[in-house]
Amino acid sequence: MTEANLLQKYASEVFAGLVAPVAELGISAAPAADALAKEDVLVRMERELKRALEKPASERRWVMVIDLRRCIGCHACTVACVAENKLPPGVVYRPVMTEEVGTYPNVTMKFLPRPCMQCEKSPCTEVCPVTATYHDEEGVVVVDYEQCIGCRACMAACPYGARTFDFGYTYTEQLPVFDGAIVGGENAAGYEHASQEYGEAWKREGRHESPVGNVRKCHFCLHRIKDGILPACTTTCIGRATYFGDANDPDSLVTELINKPNVIRLKEELGTEPRVYYIV
Amino acid sequence: MTKKISYAVGALALLFGLWGVYIRLFEGEQSANYGSYIGWGLWVAMYLFLAGLAAGAYMLAAFDYLFNVPQFKGTGKTMLWAALVTLPAGLASIGMDLGHMDRIWKVYLQPNFTSFLAIMVWGYTIFLILIAVSLYFAFTAPDKKVMKVVMWIGFVTAILVAGGVGFLLGGNAARLYWHVGLLPVQFPVFAIASGAALMLLIVGWFMPNLEEKQRGDLLWLLAIITIATSVAKLYFLVADYTQSLYGGATDNLIAVNYVLNGPHAFMFWGVQIVLGLLIPVLVLAQPKLAKNGFVAGLMGLFLLIGYAAARILIVVPGQVAEMMPGQAAAFHGPKLTLEYTPSLMEWSVTSAVMGFAILGILIGMDYLLGYLARFTEAKK
Repeated sequence: MTEANLLQKYASEVFAGLVAPVAELGISAAPAADALAKEDVLVRMERELKRALEKPASERRWVMVIDLRRCIGCHACTVACVAENKLPPGVVYRPVMTEEVGTYPNVTMKFLPRPCMQCEKSPCTEVCPVTATYHDEEGVVVVDYEQCIGCRACMAACPYGARTFDFGYTYTEQLPVFDGAIVGGENAAGYEHASQEYGEAWKREGRHESPVGNVRKCHFCLHRIKDGILPACTTTCIGRATYFGDANDPDSLVTELINKPNVIRLKEELGTEPRVYYIV
Repeated sequence: MTKKISYAVGALALLFGLWGVYIRLFEGEQSANYGSYIGWGLWVAMYLFLAGLAAGAYMLAAFDYLFNVPQFKGTGKTMLWAALVTLPAGLASIGMDLGHMDRIWKVYLQPNFTSFLAIMVWGYTIFLILIAVSLYFAFTAPDKKVMKVVMWIGFVTAILVAGGVGFLLGGNAARLYWHVGLLPVQFPVFAIASGAALMLLIVGWFMPNLEEKQRGDLLWLLAIITIATSVAKLYFLVADYTQSLYGGATDNLIAVNYVLNGPHAFMFWGVQIVLGLLIPVLVLAQPKLAKNGFVAGLMGLFLLIGYAAARILIVVPGQVAEMMPGQAAAFHGPKLTLEYTPSLMEWSVTSAVMGFAILGILIGMDYLLGYLARFTEAKK
């Protein structure tokens, strides 16, 4: 067996062993452990993604499942999201909240990755005065940057704090400008790559060009999904704690996972019906 | 003298404000201190304040034209004019807060009417038209039925738009500090209270031509309205805060503690309570002092400052509780913070808005209203 095959076969189990000590207690630790043992979940999810894309868009129901027992708080998903969407300073789609629990010596850390919940009954879309944020055909909450007036009502309405405002910062604006060197904020649009969100190139030229002055949020990497590629946070998760797929597919991994009893959604009491599930 | 000083204050405020307006328009919002976690700051609060002031001024104009309260006779036009100035000032304040103010037309041509914000933009636009129409009829047909009809529609609209602002915040179920049924009830009371304060200022300082007895009686009546609304507002405040503290919901505790003991606690205790409530109520409860034009005007000013502080202390604390615990520490970047103190640029823009309102009201009273009166008279 080649090294690559070995890795593919056992990597998930290794990570599960690292981050899921409950297995030692005899509790079923890893979700769909059998499935994980056979192949990397990424391979399965990508196959299921392609299967879902063969259906009409309105018949797909994208959901994300995050296994909190497997999350090791590495923030790789956060960084991958920033890199994928070319997020400027001050804009974040998927932070990972960290909480220290217990007192010494019985101390542990809890991690909570928080993408947009893509709520089915989304308070943010309801309050938008110009329908700049809405559910697309697949139910994902998107933002039309050219329509958004930047009132931030959606930010106030979101119970998960999943939206941030693009104030027009660039990574290089504090740097000095030297002849022949590509530095300085005014040159940023030339070499800070354009975001490809929603299938368009957003160059953020100037301080008034969208998405500057707009509210921004996670969109499940729709631009990747349409090409059959999983969201960046999902593929980057080294603990294989993030799963993505079509919940309308009865055979998909995500359907398997969300039908287990140890699944919760955040702030259920608000009736927002999130499409992000957490395994606890 | 007070008028000259007021003109100077208005002009200086506008002058200082032009710098902020320039920065905001040409350099964007980076020099503002609101951010992604506290997304609504001073400008939104001043919109609530000025829009409430406009609604209140209109309601008091109705005391003259609709309810024929003798003490208010002859003051209707001035209050309608004050409403016509303060409402655009408020809309300018909220306009500066928009990331893309050039797209405001979309709210009219492509509105989403499930959005209360869209409804409010339409509501305030209709209200602005109603104020202008009321003022027109105040000159051309003050005693005719059409004036009464327009004023009634305007009066009801004023209550609705004032209450609607409360709903705009209160409708956010995610924000416990705002999400109380009392909020839309409070705002029309706030509106009439701030309208009375503005009228104390205007009648006390800028309307010396009013017949002396009527002026004294009107100031005393305004003092009584102020005391009554202040007591009502205090009751709302105590009920809201004690209920929040007793209930103990985390987000509410964070918000109320921010107001009472937070970094801007002086704004609550010093400005809203002492300057904006206790001092005016104690002074205005003395008929002799309340009927003194200078004192009444000064108390009107104190009250207005207190009401403006109260709006800030409604808007900002509603956002200081993290929507997800640990969010602010999870990712670092500019404007990803739960701390908020308005920046100099924000104060400057607010200064421009206030300067516009002060000068607008004064110029209108001194020149425009008189000119319009002569013009309509000549036409007749």
